[in-house]
Amino acid sequence: MLPEAAELILFAAAALVLAVICVPVALGRRRVLVQGGVGLVAGVAIAIVPTFDLVLLVLCALGAIDASVGRREPLAVRLRAPIVAVAFLTLALVFLRVEGPDVLGRFAAVGLVAGLAAAVGLLPYIHPVVDAEPSDRSSIVWTAFAGPLLGVVVVWRAQSLLPVDAGAAFAAMLIGVGVLNMAWGAVASWLTTTNTAAWRYSFLADWGLVLCGFGVTLIDGRRAALLVLFALMLGRLPLYLAAGAVDAQKSTTERPLNFVVAAALAGAAPFAGFAARVLLLRGATQLFWPLALALALVMLLWLPGSLRLGLSLGSPRGRQAIVVVAVLAINIAAGLYPLPLLSAGRL
Amino acid sequence: MIEGIAAFVAWLGAALLVLSDARRGLALGIALAASGIAIVVWSTSGPTEAALIAIGGAVAATRRLMIGNDAWGVMPPGSTPRLILCIAGGLLALWIGLGVTGGHSAALRFTVLVTLGLAGARVLSSDDAPAQLSSLAVMALAVAAAAGLSSEAPGPWPYAAAALIAAGSGWLPLVRLRAA
Repeated sequence: MLPEAAELILFAAAALVLAVICVPVALGRRRVLVQGGVGLVAGVAIAIVPTFDLVLLVLCALGAIDASVGRREPLAVRLRAPIVAVAFLTLALVFLRVEGPDVLGRFAAVGLVAGLAAAVGLLPYIHPVVDAEPSDRSSIVWTAFAGPLLGVVVVWRAQSLLPVDAGAAFAAMLIGVGVLNMAWGAVASWLTTTNTAAWRYSFLADWGLVLCGFGVTLIDGRRAALLVLFALMLGRLPLYLAAGAVDAQKSTTERPLNFVVAAALAGAAPFAGFAARVLLLRGATQLFWPLALALALVMLLWLPGSLRLGLSLGSPRGRQAIVVVAVLAINIAAGLYPLPLLSAGRL
Repeated sequence: MIEGIAAFVAWLGAALLVLSDARRGLALGIALAASGIAIVVWSTSGPTEAALIAIGGAVAATRRLMIGNDAWGVMPPGSTPRLILCIAGGLLALWIGLGVTGGHSAALRFTVLVTLGLAGARVLSSDDAPAQLSSLAVMALAVAAAAGLSSEAPGPWPYAAAALIAAGSGWLPLVRLRAA
């Protein structure tokens, strides 16, 4: 198993524990535990199966199960993205396996990036979100819980399959799609009308950083991607769930805690997101310095959206407050000393 | 020769999946597509793998036949764009499978491309859950068939997993649970 994948499974398990703590109702906690457990088992299966074909079939099954679990969107709407992802990824595999002109490798790279974006729920294949839906049932949870492991496994397998020139095209497309998601997600999380949509776009922005990290084919890029995924699963996701639970209680305030949360979401020092951004900028500078400049400019767009989301957290109490404090502590620890996380991923 | 006919049957099944809006048409589409894929897989991967595909397809088709609107629903009014999609998709897959790509089995390449393409198009173009779940079943079988294009023998696992998904797709609840 890929060491990064094993680490992400642990992150997912920890995120599940935080999610269970966060849910205010006992019945909801059981449901979250069961659904999260199924997702975790599927994640382990994705990580350990020996071939890409089996990864795609597990994705098929997971997508179908996720679509059939009670949500407000029709099953057909929920099923669309994972199935389209499987179609793109399988077409890419076919192009990689058959004999033909070199351009087939590039078509395969396009299929892999499109499939990855559709599987995770990134632009241009955003999963639908319903405002009135409880946060733990939203498709955002798929993007933040199942998406990271899927992303790491797809990219790892793609890089081992693609020929050199197609591999370079794949990396370039990852950076392109990553910058698009960063810019769009950061601006939209600031300017969109509802808080649910703002949270959704903030996840897209973080995923943009991850894709850029994957695309920067240096060790710093992979390190940055791992740290952003850590911040996504053990920072943004629990905070989103906590915000959803607090919203249900109709409480909103502007306390110092809200500003600290905003700083964590924006990737400010000393949180984990800051270390990830520094590593990404260092890798991008080594690869092509104008890219680092563009990334730095786009990173500034995180601030207003993060402030909005931090304030939307309201005034957490009880279980939600425990989760928020735990998340902040974990992210500060990872930001100040990320080496154990990177070493565990052999990075 | 048999491979070619089987590939044509797979296209016919996938096309029927695109053109049908009721349970009999969808069930026949799954059955034809699965039969075509199974015969092509038999010639490239072996009888065990083909049997797994056939069993998965048969269960999915039978289950689809038992649930939903009791009619054929093949080519209802306004189906011309779907018909054009089926023909154009088939020709495109034929060109890519036979003209652009090479090596291994041309029938397998065509079958995988056409079933993936048409099932994917059906998923994208429809909001009808039975049609989408039927497409899911056929797509899972096509993914397993694509494993046969690999240079290394994939073994029976992808075929078994695909059969399980295809068979299980009929049991997914179509009625939504409403959250408070």
